Amino acid sequence: MRERFANHFDPFVIPFLVGMAFVLGYYLIGMIRVILQLPKADRKRFLLTLITPKYIWMNIRDIFLNCLIHVKLWKRNRVLGYMHSSIAFGWFMIILLGHLEVILFVPERIHLFYYPIFFNYFVAETEQTIQGSLLMFLMDFFLLMILSGIAIAIIKRFASRIVGMRRTTRLSLLDQVGLYSLWSIFPLRLLAESFTAHISGGSFLTIPANWIFRQFLGNDLNALPTWWAYSIALGVFMCVLPFTRYMHIPAEMLLIPMRNAGIRIRHPRKGFALLEVYSCPACGVCIDACPMSVRKVNCKDATVYLNRQLRRGNERRIEEISDKCLLCGKCTAVCQVGVQGPELRMAQRARRKYALSPSYSGINVRPMAAAVAHGAGGDSGGVLYFAGCMTKLTPSIRRATTSLLDKAGVRWQMMDPEEGLCCGRPLMMAGRSEQARELIAKNAEIIRASGCDTLLLSCPICYKIFKEEYRLDGIRVVHHSVFFEELIEAGRLKVRRNGDLKLVYHDPCELGRGCGVYEEPRKALAAAGELVEAGKHHAESICCGGSLGSLTLGFEQRRPMTQNALDNLTVADPDQIVTACPLCFSTFVHAADRPVRDIAEILDSQS
Amino acid sequence: MVNRTPVIAIIGAGIAGLEAARQLNDLGYKPILIEKAPVTGGHVAEWNRLFPDMSPAADLVQSLESQTAKVRTMTGTEIASINRLKDGYSLILSDGETLVCEAVLFATGFHLFDASKKEEYGYGIYEKVITNRDLEQWFNTRHDPRIGHPKAVGFVHCVGSRDVKAGNTQCSKVCCITAIKQAIEIKEEFPEAEVYCFYMDLRLFGKKYEDFYIKAQRDCGIHFIRGRVSEVGEAIDGRVVVKAEDTLSGKPVKVTLDLLVLMAGIICNSDAQHYAQQVGVAVDDDGFLKSRDNVGAIVESSRPGIFFAGACTGAKTVPETLAEARSAALAIHRYFSKRG
Repeated sequence: MRERFANHFDPFVIPFLVGMAFVLGYYLIGMIRVILQLPKADRKRFLLTLITPKYIWMNIRDIFLNCLIHVKLWKRNRVLGYMHSSIAFGWFMIILLGHLEVILFVPERIHLFYYPIFFNYFVAETEQTIQGSLLMFLMDFFLLMILSGIAIAIIKRFASRIVGMRRTTRLSLLDQVGLYSLWSIFPLRLLAESFTAHISGGSFLTIPANWIFRQFLGNDLNALPTWWAYSIALGVFMCVLPFTRYMHIPAEMLLIPMRNAGIRIRHPRKGFALLEVYSCPACGVCIDACPMSVRKVNCKDATVYLNRQLRRGNERRIEEISDKCLLCGKCTAVCQVGVQGPELRMAQRARRKYALSPSYSGINVRPMAAAVAHGAGGDSGGVLYFAGCMTKLTPSIRRATTSLLDKAGVRWQMMDPEEGLCCGRPLMMAGRSEQARELIAKNAEIIRASGCDTLLLSCPICYKIFKEEYRLDGIRVVHHSVFFEELIEAGRLKVRRNGDLKLVYHDPCELGRGCGVYEEPRKALAAAGELVEAGKHHAESICCGGSLGSLTLGFEQRRPMTQNALDNLTVADPDQIVTACPLCFSTFVHAADRPVRDIAEILDSQS
Repeated sequence: MVNRTPVIAIIGAGIAGLEAARQLNDLGYKPILIEKAPVTGGHVAEWNRLFPDMSPAADLVQSLESQTAKVRTMTGTEIASINRLKDGYSLILSDGETLVCEAVLFATGFHLFDASKKEEYGYGIYEKVITNRDLEQWFNTRHDPRIGHPKAVGFVHCVGSRDVKAGNTQCSKVCCITAIKQAIEIKEEFPEAEVYCFYMDLRLFGKKYEDFYIKAQRDCGIHFIRGRVSEVGEAIDGRVVVKAEDTLSGKPVKVTLDLLVLMAGIICNSDAQHYAQQVGVAVDDDGFLKSRDNVGAIVESSRPGIFFAGACTGAKTVPETLAEARSAALAIHRYFSKRG
């Protein structure tokens, strides 16, 4: 290899350089801003992880697997997985190999930013070597890989159903500029390299292309304009990048280390939240996943649009989207980047100023505490069962639960036989965590007074907050589905299996995605009947539509969501629909065409 | 089909169907009553006494039945399908018979809301919770182990009606007055008992209804509590504990009762929707059949030869239903007269 130009420069590299300088500058400033916006404790924690070897390795691995290979997307949809990893990994390899070429052949030019990118323009092939042709081959190979990815991207844009997506996002103007410049970069590179392939050399893609072009063009006059076009496409892409969805590429590289460090969203517009918003690639997977999307008008309330509005600062829409959401968490479950849609919305709700803020600190819990302390006969240990408001409205669940406890010979007492306080989760969901904390303190006082060693809950809404926010040192917090499964396993609860009873299990949002309980209820149900699965289940189960999460959805608007969830549950034509949440239960009862039961009822009737 | 006496298939032999059959028979047509149940009379046949005069429901049903004795009545018969013909309809019945008729009158009535779906009220779970229909049956048969000798009785209005959560936003119209009627009857039966009515609004629009209400309050000492019941629990002795809010005093109330009666509301008949679909008649958003005009043509559908009578188009009282049945008979008569 020898260099073709004495001054190692041509004006066509300027658009690329401008774009590169702009995007790097922007990213650096943004990164510093995000880190500075973190609360002090979080910032310290994050910076510490950056120098801890365990975290360094974890970060490198996660960035490689998620940003370049897109492992999560592969698992979900192979076509989309191939499309993304071919472009990301291919591009990464082209840049890497470009640098390798420079190091191998013209090491004195490595300090020039543009040299690895436009290598083929600046050099002429003098002799063919093994490593030279191997590099050339790899360059062409990865270019072909990217081009195949771009081809899928073009098909996806015009017919998203072919790649398995029902709906995709509507792009903003700048997103379109970014998209078309990205699409044009690689075909232009192919053209540019092909035009100079007889000088700089090439491989299986560029050499034949060069030969074809020379058949009817016959001169090299097209080479320079094509290299210009290639550079301009790169420059345009990088200049618009910060204002488009492609910002997710650099943003995710900071998001992953921060998430690994355990940083949480504290403010809807600052720090970690800002990073999540910018990490959203606007792929639109959350639109199909969102239970609200059965109504076409609600498609624009998916998390992808919340992120867009947060970037634009459209306050009216941000509030509307934040309040409407059911907080079922499915968008996070399917999100490739893991944007926490519900947490963003709850942080947004917490910003609201209320004219009236009731205080619960004045509630006297001493009688309630005395009642449970007395009920236990002063003994410590045993199970304290908190039915909560939803189970109180579904007496059949409470009755079945207490009956099962008796059958298994468990020593138990009720925490709220007469009066009871709210667990605080609904307030938490509404963003009123201060009031929720007051209730948490009150309930904790009652629980401690009881001297129990296990707190049993039949409502996943309660279960989530008792598990996550209560400090009940030493007391086990357990959901009834898990507790009964253990009793069956231990042989304390005898359940007769009825093989003719076909049951489908509905994963409640708060229990499944919220607390990660999927298998225990299924195991318990399999002991009572034949378990079939819904169309979408486990982490992708569809919210019943009754969620307390939404502050503004009316019953009429929720009905089609409930119907959709039921249609999904009945694909295998079960005899009964079983859930483990009193709210899902009472939502389904009014719309289902077959019996809806709680897991406790099934177990109670079969034991 | 020309030059024969027009045959009119009447779906449902409740009071609407019977009354319409009587009128059509008198007008010289050939009505045929098709009833799913083994007996005629519909919901009214299950009731004991009717407001406002406390006249026995059985008298009304018997009188209607005796006056339609000549009308061909097919009880225990369901309709497998209805098809449109060129100038009439053909009905395929569950016994395999095909009935060709010139007009169809929907007198399909309503369904009573399944109170066990409002689980917070505990119907089907707690021993001492019954519905308005159960109570009427007790008045008829005097046999129901759940009732006994109650000392405190509660009535919950609007169970499954005016309730968007239960999917029925419409008012059932008759339950306010039925609850008052039943409360008075309970008070007469058990003079020592305290009787409570938990209501949202009292909609006492009909003749003598207001008098009933005043009688209940003044003469019978029935307690009216404005507020919805939030929760029903069961005490250890099997009595029911009702928690509600008295929205007039702004305070929560809690009473322990020996009997709780749920005023299950009127909802659309799903069979009627099914038939309506087959003949191409529109169903309204509330699930009831859609009249051609809700003011001027309640008994007419948008399709020629299909007519409505009674509660298939919405909740109605007994006199309203009877009036509508006559009106439907006249509308059918006009339809055939015009056709000549």
